[in-house]
Amino acid sequence: MAGETYTVFGLAVPEGLDELHDLIESIGEEHPHVSDSDLMLFETAVIEIAGNVVEHARPRGQVKWTFTLSVLPDRIEAVLADDGVAYVAKGEGVPDMPVGLTERGRGLALASRVLDFLVHERIHGTNRWRMARTLS
Amino acid sequence: MNLEKRMQGQVVVLSCAGRLNMTSARALRDAVGTTVEGGSSRVVVDLTNTSFVDSSGLGALVAGLKVARLAGGDLRIAGASEQVRTVLNLTNLDRVLTPHRSVAEASDGW
Repeated sequence: MAGETYTVFGLAVPEGLDELHDLIESIGEEHPHVSDSDLMLFETAVIEIAGNVVEHARPRGQVKWTFTLSVLPDRIEAVLADDGVAYVAKGEGVPDMPVGLTERGRGLALASRVLDFLVHERIHGTNRWRMARTLS
Repeated sequence: MNLEKRMQGQVVVLSCAGRLNMTSARALRDAVGTTVEGGSSRVVVDLTNTSFVDSSGLGALVAGLKVARLAGGDLRIAGASEQVRTVLNLTNLDRVLTPHRSVAEASDGW
């Protein structure tokens, strides 16, 4: 049923990514109006954002996160909030996609390509990544 | 992710089953490095049973490609799912990591 919200609590550690994968992959059956393609692209974006949080989470291994996912009639949206130190972007806006055989730096650029909305905020000592994808 | 390694003629095939992401990318990176150090620089990464690849996984594939090419060989990928093909396309990496339909096709010409 569209309009449902799901929440995962956990630690911002690499193993925590699997819980986010499992949640997103589980909602397809409950929400047939969400196509496999939309779900796959949204999962791709969420995992990139979450991976970025894990990479920057300080103190390492102790940062707690809350992932809230909402399935709406026309879009999927999510908020990933963590209590780690403030995230500091390397530059303005979304980084460009690296070219050539660079091994790193594609995560946020990839996420932004499959989302219609992506913003990072620092509110009351919490990093909040808000993201949404309009359903096709 | 489960990683299996086998020889197929002159080619080493590394099969990745599961998610190739931040937790498993290191294993693939190490496996390619060990393979090339062992004298086999023609590597096919079989992604037939890989359900998901993120940018860490892509980084491991690019690192493997560079290691293999430095040794005079190459790294090719086979059996990529729609998700894998999509992220390769969105990151423009499909220009250097062309997805082949099968291990046999990827090994063609070797």
